[in-house]
Amino acid sequence: MNGVALLALIAGLALIGWMSARARAFAFAGGPARANSLPGQHAAYVVLWVVVPALIFLAGWAALSPSLVTATALSHPAASVLPAGGFEREAILNEARSLAAGSAYGAFYSQSEGLAPAFAAAASRYRWIGTIVAILLAFAGGAYALSRVAPAFRARAQVERGVMLALLVASLIAILTTLGIFLSLVFESVRFFERVPVTDFLLGTNWSPQVIPANDPGSALGAVPLFWGTFFIGAVIAMLVAIPFGLMSAIYLTQYAKPSVRRWVKPMLEVLAGIPTVVYGYFAALTVGPAIRQVAVALGMPFASSESALSAGLVMGVMIIPFVSSMADDAIAAVPASMRDGSLAMGATTNETIRRVLMPAALPGVVAGVLLAVSRAIGETMIVVMAASGAATITLNPFESATTVTKQIVDLLTGEAEFDSPKTLAAFALGLTLFLITFLLNIVALSVVKRYREAYE
Amino acid sequence: MNSAPRTPTDWRDNAMQRRIRRRYAAERRFRLMGLLAVVLSGAFLAFLLGSMVSGGIGGFQRTQVKLSIDFESLALPITRAQLQGPGADLAISGAGLQGAVSSAAVAAFGPDGDRVIADAAWLKVRDAIRADPAILRTRAAIDVPASTDIDAAMRGTGSPEAEAIVARLEGLRLISTGFNPDFFTRADATDPGAVGIWGALKGSLMTMLVTLAIAFPIGVLSAVYLEEYAPRNRWTDLIEVSINNLAAVPSIIFGLLGLAVLLGTFGLPRSAPIVGGLTLALMIMPVIVIAGRNAIKAVPPSIRDAALGIGASRIQVVFHHVLPIALPGILTGTIIGMARALGETAPLLMIGMRAFIASPPQGFTDPATVLPVQIFLWSDEVSQGFVEKTSAAILVLLAFLLAMNALAIYLRNRFETRW
Repeated sequence: MNGVALLALIAGLALIGWMSARARAFAFAGGPARANSLPGQHAAYVVLWVVVPALIFLAGWAALSPSLVTATALSHPAASVLPAGGFEREAILNEARSLAAGSAYGAFYSQSEGLAPAFAAAASRYRWIGTIVAILLAFAGGAYALSRVAPAFRARAQVERGVMLALLVASLIAILTTLGIFLSLVFESVRFFERVPVTDFLLGTNWSPQVIPANDPGSALGAVPLFWGTFFIGAVIAMLVAIPFGLMSAIYLTQYAKPSVRRWVKPMLEVLAGIPTVVYGYFAALTVGPAIRQVAVALGMPFASSESALSAGLVMGVMIIPFVSSMADDAIAAVPASMRDGSLAMGATTNETIRRVLMPAALPGVVAGVLLAVSRAIGETMIVVMAASGAATITLNPFESATTVTKQIVDLLTGEAEFDSPKTLAAFALGLTLFLITFLLNIVALSVVKRYREAYE
Repeated sequence: MNSAPRTPTDWRDNAMQRRIRRRYAAERRFRLMGLLAVVLSGAFLAFLLGSMVSGGIGGFQRTQVKLSIDFESLALPITRAQLQGPGADLAISGAGLQGAVSSAAVAAFGPDGDRVIADAAWLKVRDAIRADPAILRTRAAIDVPASTDIDAAMRGTGSPEAEAIVARLEGLRLISTGFNPDFFTRADATDPGAVGIWGALKGSLMTMLVTLAIAFPIGVLSAVYLEEYAPRNRWTDLIEVSINNLAAVPSIIFGLLGLAVLLGTFGLPRSAPIVGGLTLALMIMPVIVIAGRNAIKAVPPSIRDAALGIGASRIQVVFHHVLPIALPGILTGTIIGMARALGETAPLLMIGMRAFIASPPQGFTDPATVLPVQIFLWSDEVSQGFVEKTSAAILVLLAFLLAMNALAIYLRNRFETRW
């Protein structure tokens, strides 16, 4: 039985359970004994018992059965022709699997055709086992729950306990995701660092993953140029654009602009923030990059690249303006109006009030906003993938090419390398570094914001 | 207090006047700088949108030539019965239509006539036959798409030979530029004249559906838990920190998670909407949680107290009273999160959604691509035709995003309640 039909069947069982529980509860609702719960609550209790155990079993089975199917198929005599290990074996197994599922039209490997029936038989057997157990579980759960429907039964408390559990599980998903990210990155990175010494990776200055020498992979995987490029593009050039523009826009909008202007300009900045990064990247690669190259040539740099650090950084800075602006806006708005009014009453101009009173008071909030902006800039991917170059150089010249951590992750993982090579594992090590750096920046920024917010409350 | 006598400030003093003028000038300069920052940001937005519109508007159009075909003398071996039923397309293609169309082009436009029409022009003729089989016994003039060269020449960027052909055809009134409906109904192709966004759009819609189905319930439930029930202890602090941190984790990291866990450990299919949707759902879930918590926090405690007071349980208070009131706020946050997911590219590249996929996905586990990734793939193509198509696809994506954001702003204004 396929998945949709099975789910429909379980839903049907749940419906039957719902109706019979309601009927029973209505039967005693008007009776002499006062019922503890409403008929609908009894019904919901039965539905939970029909659906939840069956679905939990099915989810576990879906995760477990592919490996059981593979193990059974491998014990079939047709599996003896397989090569002992490595890439080809995996490819044959995958092809046999898709042949058996009917999603492949022809076989590239002759062995997979012999193996496909074994896969199909094993898959169908485990599918039937899963179906039967799921239906039995649904029946058993429903029968147990129905047997408990009685006037004195506290169905409402039971249902609500179930709902509370669901709420708790939902909120744990965030921890699980964080943990999943951290563990998967650490796990792959450990495999990487078994082959490449940490010091080579963190301190090496030669990054050329196209050709990795087998005897000393660390010599081609020194990530310092990437860290420098990321810092240079994201934290220097982009911030040189984003901080002045974002800060000045926020100051103008909060202190000078008429409400009518503000009502138009704020959504405009939000539009700027809502544009997908792939569009910024396209714009940077197609329009800004060549223009900057022409400027560089005019300045006397005949070999300037159109994939310069400047074009990626400039466009990224524009992308971040609204972010800095809204953080600064919040920070300035949090300064008590009495401080501003006091300064103005002393005869200071608005400009002096902003620079001498508002800004110092809002500084922690602004700094936190800038830190968050930096964290966002160094994690930004599409703009640098499309506008920055792949050449890893350490340079202070913004017209030269530079590359970033995120661009290299994309380059390393979208190639044709096998999953176990130092090349693909290096992407996870870069990902771990990126995760840790942005994590630290966020923690620092959030704690600054927190402490600062409390100061005026 | 200092009691020393103090001479009053002489405001009319020249030095004082100069000083005041200087201060006012600084004030004006500062104000101008603020205005300049706003104006420049707006100018950049206008420039970006303007260049996309001017570059992409041509992508929605195509050049077509009127090709007259004498079906009667061709005598294609197609029977009326073959034109009914599901095998019709195959029957017409099998009847040598492609060759017939290119020889008709040679007859109509001269020796290199089949270079005037696009490779896929015969598909248009096939559709015309299917729509009206009666034309098989007549002579008919059908608008077919022009080839890439002719199309470029029509836009003024073609080779001299192509320009000459265009001039000749324009004299005969056989060539025209019109709206290209195929751009919305086809999938990716290698020829820029034949590409469309439907494949990517459908992939995007399916991915969004998975994202919404997973992120919305989880996000709302955890917002409810954290705001209404969670005790203040180390566990809930940990949940809060993880949610705030997840909201700021670079999107590409979620792609790495999808690659390592969903593809690597669970063995889900590469490039499928289900994997893309799961990855994006984990990414936008924090956005929904944070928006949901703010919306729930904004519901006044008196409503909770009133419901509790008449004997509702805490679950009933939340699901019957608090959530319905908070729903517009939660929906606003959800729409904003979905807009972010719709525009996201990097995590989907990690899970293999960058393959060339020439047919729209049929199921959630089929290989698919999404609109932003399609834009990224087309932006890598060197052919001039793809530049226009890329900008056109960007316009479609931006239209969707603007519509979603407008809806979010509308919801926010419509349901904004002051208690």
